[in-house]
Amino acid sequence: MLKKTSIAAALATATAVLLVAGGCATPDTGKTEAAKPAQDASAAKPAQDTPKPKAVDYTAMTPAALAEYLIFESGSYELDQPTQEGTNGRARLVQDEIQKICSLKKGEELSDEARAKVMALAAASIKYPEGGIKLGDWKKGRELAWSGFGYRTAHNPDKHAGREAGGNCYNCHELATDRTGGTIGLTLTGFGKIRGSGPDMLKYAYDMIYNANTYFPCTSMPRMGANGVLNQQQITDIMAYLFDPASPVNK
Amino acid sequence: MFKKALRTLAVTGTAALIMGAQAPEDILDALARKTNNAPYLVQSPQNRMMMPDNPAYDLVEDGERLFKTPRGPKNASLEKCDFGKGPGVLEGAYVELPRYFADAGKVMDLDARLAYCMKTLQGFTDADPAVARKHGSGSDVMKLQTYIAVKSSGMPWNPPLNHPLEKAMRDAGEVMFYRRSGIMDFGCVTCHTKEGARIRASVLPNIHKPDEWTKAISWPAYRISQENVRSSQHRLIECLWQMRYPNMKNGSDASIALLSFWTDAARGAPAILPDLKR
Ligand code: HEC
Ligand code: HEC
Repeated sequence: MLKKTSIAAALATATAVLLVAGGCATPDTGKTEAAKPAQDASAAKPAQDTPKPKAVDYTAMTPAALAEYLIFESGSYELDQPTQEGTNGRARLVQDEIQKICSLKKGEELSDEARAKVMALAAASIKYPEGGIKLGDWKKGRELAWSGFGYRTAHNPDKHAGREAGGNCYNCHELATDRTGGTIGLTLTGFGKIRGSGPDMLKYAYDMIYNANTYFPCTSMPRMGANGVLNQQQITDIMAYLFDPASPVNK
Repeated sequence: MFKKALRTLAVTGTAALIMGAQAPEDILDALARKTNNAPYLVQSPQNRMMMPDNPAYDLVEDGERLFKTPRGPKNASLEKCDFGKGPGVLEGAYVELPRYFADAGKVMDLDARLAYCMKTLQGFTDADPAVARKHGSGSDVMKLQTYIAVKSSGMPWNPPLNHPLEKAMRDAGEVMFYRRSGIMDFGCVTCHTKEGARIRASVLPNIHKPDEWTKAISWPAYRISQENVRSSQHRLIECLWQMRYPNMKNGSDASIALLSFWTDAARGAPAILPDLKR
């Protein structure tokens, strides 16, 4: 049976050119995005013109080039889907410099140069509250730390009207012992009690939440401040949840 | 009480006969032993206990009927559909998907191939509910997918990579898996490359461990939290949603590239079908 497969494959190799266009694309791809240039999806008018078949040879591209093609030009993603921050799906898929450097495959390691670059970019991205870092309200911080709501789009977009987007901390961290958190990040249980709350520690925590790449280049922790998920007030509320002696994190 | 009937159903396929009629829960148990109880595989004794009574078995029965009944404008059954191993051959077909199909000129997963046959053989169009309704236990698509997939239970994942397009799609899928973007900087790599790591209380599967990754990609599976049988395409959308990515079209080339990579990553490990998940 394996033999039959390879014969069929060998025969097919001769015609390894793929037609990507409205007509012959896959079931739900009945739009003509595939034939559109990458840059203008945001300005795209509803495509009414007859789809022009465009011959694209996937096998002639590098894996990276094909991935970019599939993401931006094959009509796979809804690039025009609105986002909560007022951009579109395309913007969620375009990589900034840190994301590009940090898309390391298995076995790939950051060069010293890249590491330094990421750390410098991250440090430069951080904006501090006027008047310095002061702990906010730990109860508000708890709400935010335990909320995964916000900015999700795909098949079921979060509606931000009337509800604040959360910090997702619980997905990756154990926080207080009253609820189960994740383990992608380190445990933060007892954080303030163990680390103390001196100015250096407060700055470290603020920086970590704002842009953790400052200390851990290419960390899997999202850049909550730098990417605009959390504002300064929200960050200091979450910090209060981590540092306040009255917070369940430190009980 | 319908446990017995279900068991009989599970072993009627030649697949099960060839593989010594191993029930999905036995395949899972064997993997758990082999991996010294990998946390992802053994995280839910309750789910493991429910597997013999998996509600997905109901879909197998309906799917078989749908498969063999002449339907659509052309009043044809799907028995001439070629899933890669010849017209009508279902045994072991699913573990060798995605693959390149010369008639369509592209790499297809189960979902795309099924839609292709429903259109070409039966004359349905993309707008027909039979093709368009992709999700939910009540949909024709999920019934058919479950029927077809179960015929590969216990067989090792073995998606072909002989054709240059199959290789190209798999390699692009790999790039996409490690590619990070979006407001949360997520790539699949963020959540699926550590063994035993948890998001909240759920243990996440590690793509680098075929013996645990096979359970991750064993769809259709009944999802207890959603009370529905779900497909690979559905799982993909759910992860993209968590990643804050835009919606992806069912059967799109990007989805098939990702599925090509994720199936290759389970190569050699036995499929657990139908599975039952959180
Ligand atoms: C996607 C997973 C993820 C999310 C979400 C996440 N973190 Fe992290 N966090 C990490 C990882 C991983 C580390 C460890 C740094 C590293 O090695 O990359 C970390 C480290 C930290 C540290 C430093 C811990 C120490 O011991 O020095 C703090 C503080 C922290 N996170 C706070 C937060 C807060 C507060 C939130 C919510 C606003 C949050 N994290 C959300 C993954 C995450
Ligand atoms: C932010 C974390 C996160 C990211 C990023 C992520 N996933 Fe997931 N993934 C999950 C969670 C949580 C589950 C469900 C696990 C559970 O419920 O037990 C899951 C489940 C899965 C499963 C099925 C395993 C199961 O038990 O349900 C597969 C396969 C999978 N993801 C693939 C991917 C792929 C491919 C990507 C990238 C497109 C991706 N994931 C990105 C968190 C993530």
